[in-house]
Amino acid sequence: MTIIHRPEMVPEYIQKEAEQGKKEDLTRSAVLQESLDIFRTQQQIAHENGLRTTIQMTYASLFNTEAVSIAKEHHSNFGDEIGSTFLGIQCNEFREKFKSKELAIWLFSMEDKRKIVDEVFGKFYEAFGFYPTSTGSYYMDAELVSYIKEKYPIVKAAVATCWEEGPKAYWNANNSWYTLMDGGPWNPWIPSKHNIHCIASDESDDIGIVAIPHISRDLMAVFDGPGSYYGTHPQNTLRGMVYEDRELPYFKNIVDQYRAMIKYNRGYSYNMMFVGPGWMSKSGRWESDYAFLLKSYQDGMAYYGELKKQGKLQDLTMSEFADVYRKNRPYTRPECTLWKDILYGSKRQMFWYADPYMRFCLDMNQGGAMVDLRPYAAKLIRPCGVGTKALQDASYPFLVQSLYRAGYFTHYAGEGAVMSCKIGNGSEQVDLCTCRTLASFSEEDNIRVVTLDPVTIEFANFSVRVQTIFRLTEGRGEVEIIRRILDSTNPEADLSIDEYITACYGTTEYPEDLTGIRLTLTGTDKTVSIDYAYQCRESEIENIQSADAIIPQVNTRLSMRTDAPAVGYFREGFAFSPMYTLGIKKTVKAKGELRTWLKVAKAD
Amino acid sequence: MAQGRKGRLNYRCPRCLMREIDMDMLYDKDKDEYYCLRCSFTGDEKEVQRLNTQFREKYLDRMIRITDF
Repeated sequence: MTIIHRPEMVPEYIQKEAEQGKKEDLTRSAVLQESLDIFRTQQQIAHENGLRTTIQMTYASLFNTEAVSIAKEHHSNFGDEIGSTFLGIQCNEFREKFKSKELAIWLFSMEDKRKIVDEVFGKFYEAFGFYPTSTGSYYMDAELVSYIKEKYPIVKAAVATCWEEGPKAYWNANNSWYTLMDGGPWNPWIPSKHNIHCIASDESDDIGIVAIPHISRDLMAVFDGPGSYYGTHPQNTLRGMVYEDRELPYFKNIVDQYRAMIKYNRGYSYNMMFVGPGWMSKSGRWESDYAFLLKSYQDGMAYYGELKKQGKLQDLTMSEFADVYRKNRPYTRPECTLWKDILYGSKRQMFWYADPYMRFCLDMNQGGAMVDLRPYAAKLIRPCGVGTKALQDASYPFLVQSLYRAGYFTHYAGEGAVMSCKIGNGSEQVDLCTCRTLASFSEEDNIRVVTLDPVTIEFANFSVRVQTIFRLTEGRGEVEIIRRILDSTNPEADLSIDEYITACYGTTEYPEDLTGIRLTLTGTDKTVSIDYAYQCRESEIENIQSADAIIPQVNTRLSMRTDAPAVGYFREGFAFSPMYTLGIKKTVKAKGELRTWLKVAKAD
Repeated sequence: MAQGRKGRLNYRCPRCLMREIDMDMLYDKDKDEYYCLRCSFTGDEKEVQRLNTQFREKYLDRMIRITDF
């Protein structure tokens, strides 16, 4: 695990607090001193628990001789790493030099980003006599990181995104916190040169750093809630009010669930804690007084310390971690996690998967439905910041996001984005989205297998048991999906198995224009194709070879194929249902299965 | 009526919190009550705390130490 502290001389929360009823003053000594005191306290707590940290010097702190001297002392006495961060750039010196109040490095123009990098790294060198090997911010776009690597090749690690901090975080912050960056991996990764969210596919695509997400998040709660409530950040947990009587066992539960990820990732798991001083304001925050803010931090750090003493945790600085990570990480190796609910008291599980081709999530509460799909294979070049089309929207686009775009349940019209399967008999049809189940994870050589417990589907006069299995072959970029009818109480009944994906594209809750998406069915005998125009057109053909959607807006080809005789179909949507559907279906009697492969690829 | 100020702690509006919006409230010292600039919530500290307790109830496992993964 890595622990990061930063002397953020003018933290937004403390500064806001101090400004109540007063004019802005970035040099207010009370704020500077309080922030430095908190940083010192955080460092002390880590060291008392036998843990080393990465001190990420903010630009503002480089002008503070006390902050610089603490960093040097702790580097020398405790082995802490001295890195740099682009958080906390705002201070008088920055204002004078750059004439800007912008606080997010990724939102500057590219020209300004270059100037700021040179200024921050130059000032760092002036203070310490060397360049940092780790850096970070809430988000570091690929263009920014590429520039840093070009000018300062010594950099090997960066805090590069905040997992699923997108529209939900924006909403949570009264639509005033512009960290729109959904779509990245939840655990460290080697980013692609083309887009920081994407996992590099090979050496030529490797951007040259190991990226670390800002905080280890709850992979279920944050999918449907604010990121800043649920993670290995004790004050986030206080913000989410996940405590009672000043105790928060939830923090340890998250840490332990991350530790358990060794089961899915060849013996490796990772955790990080990164709390800025603003979260431990002496005047309290999130309905908590300072004593509680402090206690929660001490308790969290004590748990890490205890794990280290037991030999269950290794504390690495960011750069040390980057070296260790690279030593044993083939580019194609996926990151997998079968996450279980540790908050709401359900038994719900979600399976998260990320590799250089895609990131997706399966929800066992919905029979293994795919509720999130990001086409990393497209490696979208999508610069952000002033002067770019995306501007603040730094998210990586989805094809499926069932919470932003309805999923199985829509308000009585149209369809939502989800991948699932329907089992039918005559006029009856049941979607596996309605069949809650649980799953287990296993491996067969280089194939990761997610096996769902069988579910029972009750038709009017008989019932069947259906099992779903997902098989993920490393380096293939495809999801193999098996829907198997295990048995039927009526062996003579015909059963249709209809695998489908209803998708769209976007980065937010709001619909995008689907005009021009090409839907194609390719069979052994013929091909049918249409360009999306909201006309409700449908088509199906026998002996399907593949059903495809080319989505030029996100340069992605989405396709489904099967290895057995089956019918393929597509459905165009309409303006009140801005979705497209691809499907493959076949009929079996009593027993049988449908095996399909879902793939995302770069369109051109 | 004097301006609203920050209260003893940064109490967020409990009604906005229910819909996961963090909205700091202002405190009216003359009436000893908090009020929200976004929704129509008005209430004293006790009422805010009562609603915050209600908010926490959705976390059924908030006090359970889970070690089986």
